[in-house]
Amino acid sequence: MNSSFEWPSADFTRVPYRVFRDEKVHAREAERLFKGPFWSYLCLDIELPAAGDYVMSYVGETQVFVTRTEEGGVAAFVNSCAHRGAQLVRNLRGNSLSHTCAYHQWCFDLEGRLIGVPQQRGVKGKGGMGPEFDRDRHGLKRLRVDSYKGLWFGTFSDDVAPLADYIGPRITPEIDRIFDRPIKILGYYRQRIPANWKLYLENVKDPYHAGLLHLFHVTFGIYRPTMSGRVFMDETNGHSVLRTADIGERQSDVNEAYSGIDKYRADYRLADASMFDVAPDYDDRVTNMIMTIFPNLMLGQVANTFQVRHVRPKGLKEFELYWTYFGFADEDETATEGKLRQSNFVGPAGYISLEDGEAGRLVQIGTDRRSDEDCSIVEMGGRGEIGDADTLATEVALRGFWKRYVGAMGWDVAPC
Amino acid sequence: MLNPLPTPFDREAVLALLAEHSLCLDEGRIDQWPDLFVDDGIYRVLSRENVELGLPAPLVYYYSRGMMRDRVTALRDALTFEPVYTRHMISDIRLSADGAGQVEARSNFAIYQTTEEGVTRLFAVGGYRDVITATPDGPRFRERCAIVDTFGVQNLIALPL
Ligand code: FES
Ligand SMILES: [Fe+2]
Repeated sequence: MNSSFEWPSADFTRVPYRVFRDEKVHAREAERLFKGPFWSYLCLDIELPAAGDYVMSYVGETQVFVTRTEEGGVAAFVNSCAHRGAQLVRNLRGNSLSHTCAYHQWCFDLEGRLIGVPQQRGVKGKGGMGPEFDRDRHGLKRLRVDSYKGLWFGTFSDDVAPLADYIGPRITPEIDRIFDRPIKILGYYRQRIPANWKLYLENVKDPYHAGLLHLFHVTFGIYRPTMSGRVFMDETNGHSVLRTADIGERQSDVNEAYSGIDKYRADYRLADASMFDVAPDYDDRVTNMIMTIFPNLMLGQVANTFQVRHVRPKGLKEFELYWTYFGFADEDETATEGKLRQSNFVGPAGYISLEDGEAGRLVQIGTDRRSDEDCSIVEMGGRGEIGDADTLATEVALRGFWKRYVGAMGWDVAPC
Repeated sequence: MLNPLPTPFDREAVLALLAEHSLCLDEGRIDQWPDLFVDDGIYRVLSRENVELGLPAPLVYYYSRGMMRDRVTALRDALTFEPVYTRHMISDIRLSADGAGQVEARSNFAIYQTTEEGVTRLFAVGGYRDVITATPDGPRFRERCAIVDTFGVQNLIALPL
């Protein structure tokens, strides 16, 4: 699948299944997406409070470490020694004002400069590096970084616009809403989902499934397509926000939407529903906000839970979903306890999120059996122009993703 | 030398409770699982990563038998997940008095999952930390905490560990 590949539908209502199972596509993504002019999420600013603090992250499948520099900035480097390529930093998190490679003890400072080469002048007057060896020319491979509201991103590209412009003015207000006050990290979750990473992006851009797969969601009023809901995108259509608020919902609409479907059960009662009794964090009645930033970040609110979900490809048919689960630094103990209780909604074991892992598995194994020409149908919300929607019965944000993706991959699109 | 347990605990009965937790899950008797806890019992699953970082977010957090029953109902009637059989292998059980008339238990677990086509994979390993209390019906869990080393969860956790 090279640049001569032609995408089958100009309005992106068809997605060829081979994009989820073709090694050539996967290799091309590594070059065009993850080394191309796009910003990839790295970490949160509060994970690096002091000089020398570092965390491991990934840009595509490339492991990078992100560190607080001595001057208080943030720097990110490919985690590979400048000498013969060994993995340099060996813990996922920590603090160190310099990094020494285990293999031959080359040492790098927090700007990635090579500051120490053992036996550079040789031993007993013999061997060592030649006089032409210039340490200044052998630093670590450094990424460009930028942040927005405490979210750090990195890129290998010199061409991509500053991060705030990249995210764009239609999307940034939703980030501002959540990060209007300092946060605190409550924990991390990791899920190895046996599916191509793009299937997760499709999943979280898809409000259609949310009211049908997730009985829990629907029955307990966190999310129903009959709520007030919106899907909107940035100018490129690659980023998106799905937002629902529990206003304007009529029981008669609910009954109609779920007539003949057993996913809404008016009679379903919990023996202990106390995890729902948590005061809202905002007074805007938003129950669900799922944002995606192209290519592989999701930032979301589900009821009182807030999380960053970093979609980390691990080969063609697996990804790690790395959740950073957070609350607010100024909230009281009751509010935090509420978020711990509602961790039962999300994460690998959550009533809602566990089903998305299963959905990924089912789509991967299902599409693996289809032929190369077969395509999925992405037409909820109609065909033709891609635009924002004031309904949740739509898949338009998936089409936006594929449009941006196909552009990034440099493929032609079939004429209408 | 075995630690003495506070009265009225009987070592055999405590070991039977630990075994029953595994067996009711592995033998498809999950309906009986909440009955191994006291009414306001706590069942948690924690990632070892979070425990070591001192971070509180649980993977699973049920703080009443009602919540455990709700999960059982949802597993049976509502949730979509891959149907599997499970087997728990429990080892290195250590019982001790907690100083407040209860028993503390620690043990290791390995949980295997077997698909409907009979293919088995190792799903999760970790350790339990329990507080067991005496009731008129025998020992029951006041708290069971499963700390998973396998916090890079293989897709999802549907059943209790
Ligand atoms: S590979 Fe790092 S010092 Fe040699
Ligand atoms: Fe979902």
